[in-house]
Amino acid sequence: MSGHDSKYFSTTKKGEIPELKEELNSQHRDKRKDAVKKVIAAMTVGKDVSSLFTDVVNCMQTENLELKKLVYLYLINYAKSQPDLAILAVNTFVKDSQDPNPLIRALAVRTMGCIRVDKITEYLCDPLQRCLKDDDPYVRKTAAVCVAKLYDINAELVEDRGFLESLKDLISDNNPMVVANAVAALAEIQEHSSRPIFEITSHTLSKLLTALNECTEWGQVFILDALSRYKAADAREAENIVERITPRLQHANCAVVLSAVKMILLQMELISSTDVVRNLCKKMAPPLVTLLSAEPEIQYVALRNINLIVQKRPTILAHEIKVFFCKYNDPIYVKMEKLEIMIKLASDRNIDQVLLEFKEYATEVDVDFVRRAVRAIGRCAIKLDRAAERCISVLLELIKIKVNYVVQEAIIVIKDIFRRYPNMYESIIATLCESLDTLDEPEAKASMIWIIGEYAERIDNADELLESFLESFPEEPPQVQLQLLTATVKLFLKKPTEGPQQMIQVVLNNATVETDNPDLRDRAYIYWRLLSTDPEAAKDVVLAEKPVISDDSNQLDPSLLDELLANIATLSSVYHKPPDAFVTRAKTASQRTEDDDYPDGNEKGYSANVGDGGASPSTSSSSVPYTAARQPSPAQVMPAPASPVPDLLGDLIGLDNNAIVPADQPAMPSGPPLPILLPASTGQGLQISAQLARQDGQIFYSLMFENNSQITLDGFMIQFNKNSFGLAAAGPLQVPPLAPGAAARTLLPMVLFQNMSPGPPSSLLQVAVKNNQQPVWYFNDKILLHVFFSEDGRMERTSFLETWRSLPDSNEVLKEFPGIMVSSAETTMDRLAASNVFFIAKRKHANQDVLYFSAKIPRGIPLLIELTTVIGNPGVKCATKTPNPELAPLFFEAIETLLKI
Amino acid sequence: MISQFFVLSQRGDNIVFRDYRGEVAKGSAEIFFRKVKFWKEDGQEEAPPVFVGITLLKNNVDGVNYFHVKVVGLLFVATTRVNVSPSLVLELLQRIARVIKDYLGVLSEDSLRKNFVLVYELLDEVIDFGYMQTTSTEVLKSYIFNEPIVVDAARLQPLGPAAIFMQGTKRMPGTAITKSVVANEPGGRKREEIFVDIIEKISVTFSSSGYILTSEIDGTIQMKSYLTGNPEIRLALNEDLSIGRGGGSANDYRSSYGSGAVILDDCNFHESVRLDSFDMDRTLALVPPDGEFPVMNYRMTQEFKPPFHINCLIEEAGHLKAEVILKVRAEFPSNITANTVVLEMPLPKYTTRASFELEPGVTGQRTDFKVANKKLEWDLEKFVGGVEHTLRAKLTFSQELHANIIKEAGPVSMTFTIPMYNVSRLQVKYLQIAKKSSSYNPYRWVRYVTQANSYVARI
Repeated sequence: MSGHDSKYFSTTKKGEIPELKEELNSQHRDKRKDAVKKVIAAMTVGKDVSSLFTDVVNCMQTENLELKKLVYLYLINYAKSQPDLAILAVNTFVKDSQDPNPLIRALAVRTMGCIRVDKITEYLCDPLQRCLKDDDPYVRKTAAVCVAKLYDINAELVEDRGFLESLKDLISDNNPMVVANAVAALAEIQEHSSRPIFEITSHTLSKLLTALNECTEWGQVFILDALSRYKAADAREAENIVERITPRLQHANCAVVLSAVKMILLQMELISSTDVVRNLCKKMAPPLVTLLSAEPEIQYVALRNINLIVQKRPTILAHEIKVFFCKYNDPIYVKMEKLEIMIKLASDRNIDQVLLEFKEYATEVDVDFVRRAVRAIGRCAIKLDRAAERCISVLLELIKIKVNYVVQEAIIVIKDIFRRYPNMYESIIATLCESLDTLDEPEAKASMIWIIGEYAERIDNADELLESFLESFPEEPPQVQLQLLTATVKLFLKKPTEGPQQMIQVVLNNATVETDNPDLRDRAYIYWRLLSTDPEAAKDVVLAEKPVISDDSNQLDPSLLDELLANIATLSSVYHKPPDAFVTRAKTASQRTEDDDYPDGNEKGYSANVGDGGASPSTSSSSVPYTAARQPSPAQVMPAPASPVPDLLGDLIGLDNNAIVPADQPAMPSGPPLPILLPASTGQGLQISAQLARQDGQIFYSLMFENNSQITLDGFMIQFNKNSFGLAAAGPLQVPPLAPGAAARTLLPMVLFQNMSPGPPSSLLQVAVKNNQQPVWYFNDKILLHVFFSEDGRMERTSFLETWRSLPDSNEVLKEFPGIMVSSAETTMDRLAASNVFFIAKRKHANQDVLYFSAKIPRGIPLLIELTTVIGNPGVKCATKTPNPELAPLFFEAIETLLKI
Repeated sequence: MISQFFVLSQRGDNIVFRDYRGEVAKGSAEIFFRKVKFWKEDGQEEAPPVFVGITLLKNNVDGVNYFHVKVVGLLFVATTRVNVSPSLVLELLQRIARVIKDYLGVLSEDSLRKNFVLVYELLDEVIDFGYMQTTSTEVLKSYIFNEPIVVDAARLQPLGPAAIFMQGTKRMPGTAITKSVVANEPGGRKREEIFVDIIEKISVTFSSSGYILTSEIDGTIQMKSYLTGNPEIRLALNEDLSIGRGGGSANDYRSSYGSGAVILDDCNFHESVRLDSFDMDRTLALVPPDGEFPVMNYRMTQEFKPPFHINCLIEEAGHLKAEVILKVRAEFPSNITANTVVLEMPLPKYTTRASFELEPGVTGQRTDFKVANKKLEWDLEKFVGGVEHTLRAKLTFSQELHANIIKEAGPVSMTFTIPMYNVSRLQVKYLQIAKKSSSYNPYRWVRYVTQANSYVARI
């Protein structure tokens, strides 16, 4: 062969396809080969060369492997789009699968399995059966994988034709490659089947453990991962397994090492002897550390796994903290993971070394890394009480450098340190106050304000400091507002003098009348009521001793941790999420029932918690998504109190309680009643009524929530299943937390054509609603077609006639409503017009009145309507003509509703 | 298992694209590239090597997981829908890159495009239905029929570990290692030769007072064989080599320092290596497969003599001025020369100007003040053993310093390559090739090199 393949990418001036066609049919083999290469080149850059299908397939019958492979590559790509032509290739495939050359036999089965065309699959079975018993291991190992391919296309066929048994036989094959592929194929099939197919008995276990030693590195991983499902009978068996697997820790392939670690960790659960466990830990440490010498990408995976391992077994790497020190050229994703592990491994013994490192990181260039390092110092202080003082002195040193983001981060963590060790380190408050005016990040500001409020009695000018924030109160972000509110109340309770009195009045006014943030307002009212009824009680509440905090950020829930540890060396262990949170069941979509389409409720709730769960003691009440509450929404909100803010505390106390506590009275939402879809008896006290509605040209889902349970419900979310019109929520559901007995009404804007279910149009709308306290509720609603009738549905008489004529008669559908009576044509016309069904014309036919209307639904589908009735007498005949007559049943439902009202 | 494999250029163009399972939508390469290019999550601006894709349209996770590694500026990517072993996939991506390099001699966008037919042929043998079959160049040879079209290596930037031998010393046959394992030489006959490279990447952190805080060696014995007939090879290492630090405390090894013994913390071996006599006489026996592969990886935290000693002084010199004096001394013998030595040091943020003063009469040195990220840079083409070099820099600031100047500058980081030198003192004592005949005497190249991984002096 001469020249470069890239020449195949060059185009000729003449039509490319005809030229290629000519070359493909050339007498000369070399020319044909070159032509196929050109076709493949065109294919890889995305050109459509499917029209050459027959010509390329004609080149398939050749002894030249190079050419054959190219043709097969082409076939895999285009067979699906040309299923009828693909049949042409079948004969050659079947013939090739019996070729004396094992490479050609294997190539034929491998390729046939990749062609997902039913007609081809039928012909695959016999060759596959033969190849599974072929003399050549290369053919057998290819056939093993092919069974998995076939299972993916047609599972029944695989089971009926006994391929599973043949596959299981291959586990005992004498060639390790074949064993590995058989294991991989069986594991995959098991994954997709609910029946037990691939069960690992102690017999298979010992066979696989033997094969392990001879396998390629990849095969070793397949086998180790399959074996990790095996449950050893007792400690003795577990020890035996571990002994067989330990040598894998010395493998140069990181995947083998991690899969071996997983196996060992799983077996260790069964081993009771502490000596054996300690010894195993000792054996695992060096290979784990060695993973950190691999490429940074692998290091990242290793670090995410180590993070889990040290949470469960901190001793394994307790002496290795140095290897987790960041290198200056580590990618940022590696540095961040190392920081986490350093915190986890920090102890009284190594804290000085660790702090020295953190201090150094805090002066590096990357801002995000610096912040994380400062936070790490704080977290160590909270974790190790004997080191707290040293941590604080490092933080103070950093504050002195006066790099703005370092200072702010330091203040945030110092707040947590104060919280953890009350009355220990307050002497540094003066230093912190020096940086007051440079704070511009909400979290830092909020932290500083918390500190001032908490220690108001020790800060001489606490009132002045707080006052400096009050001016900008309305503009502050919510977390700062909440902190200011609380801090001012604390200040007042600690120093009930005139200054704080005036301040509290300003703050309460701002936080009740001037705000539309329900969190802030609720908190303000609570303080207000407390202060006005019993200031002593207020003190007990507001200045109560706080529970001790611990550093639980990034600490996983024990049950989740166990699940993740069982998934070491999988994606799960990198994401720190259980597999079902990210592995979608897309592959089995066709077999699913419709209800399964709802995304897992837990998934959403989980990912919301994944972020930094920073233990900030002071902002805990702002967990309700503020943005949701703040957007101007039709959600029912509590009316603001009508009474003006009283002048001084005396008045405050004298106030009639009822006047300022509207929160206790559920405000009854207004509007027409909605059909109840979830009765309170089914919804554990939660009642949901809802209906689709159209307003100002926009479709809404009008919902009413009534909480008849004993607990406050919050965190409402809604999800719609696939439906005929692809109706889905256009935004989040905005429902405020519902106290027991409260109700809220909301209009949820909807969009169309999002997730459409196939099949004839159906009016079924399946809805799922969840909140933070209850299970997910599912209920059904009915889609009323008239909410889709658009405002521009009016037709000119002439175009109405034209459209009517242009549509074939088969598109006309008729239905009688014997029970409906039109008492006045005008009233009916007005009523229909209100729902965007527009009057076109009217005529008399014998004693009957015939009325014509037009309507239009999205995507410009017109509906032409003819109503025939005797006014004043029951019985209406309705005919409709539309390009989409399958919508007629839905239309009749809608028109019946409209006429009935 | 993996669904797709593709290689993207730095601009995001598809160079190679192979779909193994047809279960991931076509646009995955674009989705991936956009995600990586505009990554901003978790306060990080660099995409981690493993992440899950999100489609906004369906408002939920689309279940496609993306893996990627960067090799010579190209993105090697795999996608999957199932909960696979991420290290398996990442390892595979590295290995595919290596196999392709074995075949093509050079790994580059150009060579991939020129050899796309061969690359697809390789990919079909390496992966079947998303399952890894083999990544051994040796094994693949029996199934691969396309011949590589070798691109002209001379025109290309040297790449990979091979590059480190090309500069400076003339003893090295620099182009040898960029030749394809399977392609024949223009003359038709292959030259019988074998390369054994001992590559050590060292990480050292010095405290501000010059003490060594951490030090580590990541070593590899890399082999690339062009021998015909697969003869057996014996590699003998230091006899006093020992493995495992025993105690576990990081300080234990200090006692052994000076005794001359080489103590590895941990090591692992390529699957072709037989360790029958390793415990007895520290020899490794193997029949080297074709292609480049690591015979042995090792890791050491045993104390060693750092090749360079860095001394940095920074002092205020009057109002809004300061002076930096950077001294570097090469602590290795004078017959050894380090090359491509670069020192970097971040300066205070409000540095507006830096003027440099090198030693009188030196050549091959370059200095720069990078205004954008306020960094001092000092390049030395060559650094002869035993010599000390000094750089003086006068800085001008735009505002008063907040605190101690030392807190706002540094640390000094250094990169270098030292051919024919290794700090661990691990040695290949001999390289024995099982003889076919008395006249059979292939070329053997045993080469040592030390490189900086993270070499940092705090100030």
